[in-house]
Amino acid sequence: MTHAGPAPRNGAPHASPHAIEVRDITKSFGSHLALQGVSFTIARGSVFGVIGPNGAGKTTLMRTLLDIIRATSGSATVLGTDSRNAGPELRHRIGYLPGDLILEGRISGRRLLRHYADISGPVREGRIEQLADRFKLDLDAPVRRLSKGNKQKLGVIQAFMHEPELLVLDEPTSGLDPLMQQEFLSLVQEASEAGQTVFLSSHVISEIQQAADEVAILRDGRIVTIASVNELRNTAIRHVRMSASGVGAAELTQVLAAVPGVGDLACTVDSAALATATATLSGAVRPFVQAIAALQVTDLVLEEPDLEESVLTLYSAPAASGVVPAGARS
Amino acid sequence: MTAPVLRPRGAGRTPELRRARLPVFGKVFSESWRSLIGWSLGLTAAAALYLPLFPSMNQNSQMQDLIDSMPAELTRTLNYEQIGTGPGYAQATLFGLIGFVLLSIAAISWGASALGGDEESGQLELTLAHGVTRVQVALARFAAMAVKVLGLATLTCALVWLWNGPAQLEIDPYNLLGTGMLFGGLVLLTGSVALLCGALTGRRIWGIGGGAGVAVIGYTFNAIGNQNATMEWLHGLSPYYWAFGHNPLSSGANWGVAVLFLSISILLAGATAVALRQRDVGV
Repeated sequence: MTHAGPAPRNGAPHASPHAIEVRDITKSFGSHLALQGVSFTIARGSVFGVIGPNGAGKTTLMRTLLDIIRATSGSATVLGTDSRNAGPELRHRIGYLPGDLILEGRISGRRLLRHYADISGPVREGRIEQLADRFKLDLDAPVRRLSKGNKQKLGVIQAFMHEPELLVLDEPTSGLDPLMQQEFLSLVQEASEAGQTVFLSSHVISEIQQAADEVAILRDGRIVTIASVNELRNTAIRHVRMSASGVGAAELTQVLAAVPGVGDLACTVDSAALATATATLSGAVRPFVQAIAALQVTDLVLEEPDLEESVLTLYSAPAASGVVPAGARS
Repeated sequence: MTAPVLRPRGAGRTPELRRARLPVFGKVFSESWRSLIGWSLGLTAAAALYLPLFPSMNQNSQMQDLIDSMPAELTRTLNYEQIGTGPGYAQATLFGLIGFVLLSIAAISWGASALGGDEESGQLELTLAHGVTRVQVALARFAAMAVKVLGLATLTCALVWLWNGPAQLEIDPYNLLGTGMLFGGLVLLTGSVALLCGALTGRRIWGIGGGAGVAVIGYTFNAIGNQNATMEWLHGLSPYYWAFGHNPLSSGANWGVAVLFLSISILLAGATAVALRQRDVGV
């Protein structure tokens, strides 16, 4: 990015070190509590992720910050302004990508982006084309003919194009292929380096673990924990499946059971004398790899840490995990 | 239409204000000019089908005999009592029936989709996340609908004026202007109700229901009120009767009613803005 970091346009200096400060927000829809006493802060210039299963309240939380919906109780300060009934001046300084991005119409992507540029902050000349080039997006195609991934690229561009101080991105990598996910993550990286604050959500930790400095886990409308990505990965559970020849089930069990973090271990031997083990693994991967190095491994599948399970783990034993419990950092 | 887009930072004295108002209004037209042309063509075709028939009806006593032989209740329901004169014919067929139906459908669909439909599809959320206020969005979309409705009403008047000579309608231009105002005002009122209902619920279907309710109930109350003196009180509840009950194309329009329609529509637009401002959007 050639442009200098975004300056506050309303003249307010960086009075607060926090880009977002959420205080005890509760949101109910009828009898359903979508958010229950959510509190957290996001430092200016940092990348903050919120992960949680579908329906955990991620979208509700982000919409509340944008004043698209209003909290039942509690409050949020966004870039030094109370988010409730905040005027357009605040939203000029925010780039928002909705979770259920729906773009329709016969107009081209270029004209749609120009419309959003009209109602966003000023956009530098050539900025839209530059972003479209990075994401390999044809700006002249009618929006309704674009694939889901290409619509998502348009959504990402409209959020980034006016170089806002704060980016609120709901499931930003949804629909993007792995190459474009990488491009997106480098865009987030650049934004962060330029001093912009990024608040993004995902239901898959793998999508945001590279980008985020800190991650909040949201479950049933509550923040279960706030942790750095490293802390989180160390507590997450991976599923492991491996096969080895020249080893019996009992011996394999013995080797693997000794590895720290291995659980739910099951070993079988098939007719071809191939021993297969399945297990879960939490914590570091290295001891496991070292333990099996001596075996004649024919197959090994080490899955990504499972978000849902790590959430459950943290939920049941937050104190033992070494992760800072929710609320302790506010 | 939309203002030029890519401006260097700090250009202009109040760039944000300008950016925030016109684009929302202009985008409605960049999205719906095709539908506006479609409705215009439909209206033109309807006028070309109905109005040229008047001379043959007028000269041919069989047609008048046919209408005379119809049950009085039916002719009253269809507002065909004045159909023997040019102004009565144009009012009964075009302003009071096919034009009313076409424009009402157009206004209801525009009004219902302007906010209710836009919210339902999820696009309103993205618009509101930018540097605009909800009040601006609501009023800009009302204004866009009003311009489209009044444009079509003007076209209707122009078509009648065009056919006035060839179809021997003998319509007074001043009365035509007044009737056009009443016609446009009535349809705008209907569209404004659709806009408000859409904004209140965030659903297009409620906007359609609300707008269609006003149009259909207005028409029905007028028709029932026409039947006998004991039901005449229903006229008071029928915007359709307020507009056409006193045969404006023949006997001159009540401009006060046209102003009333516009005033109510503007009040409804205000209510729409307030309603949208209070609500959670997209839930």
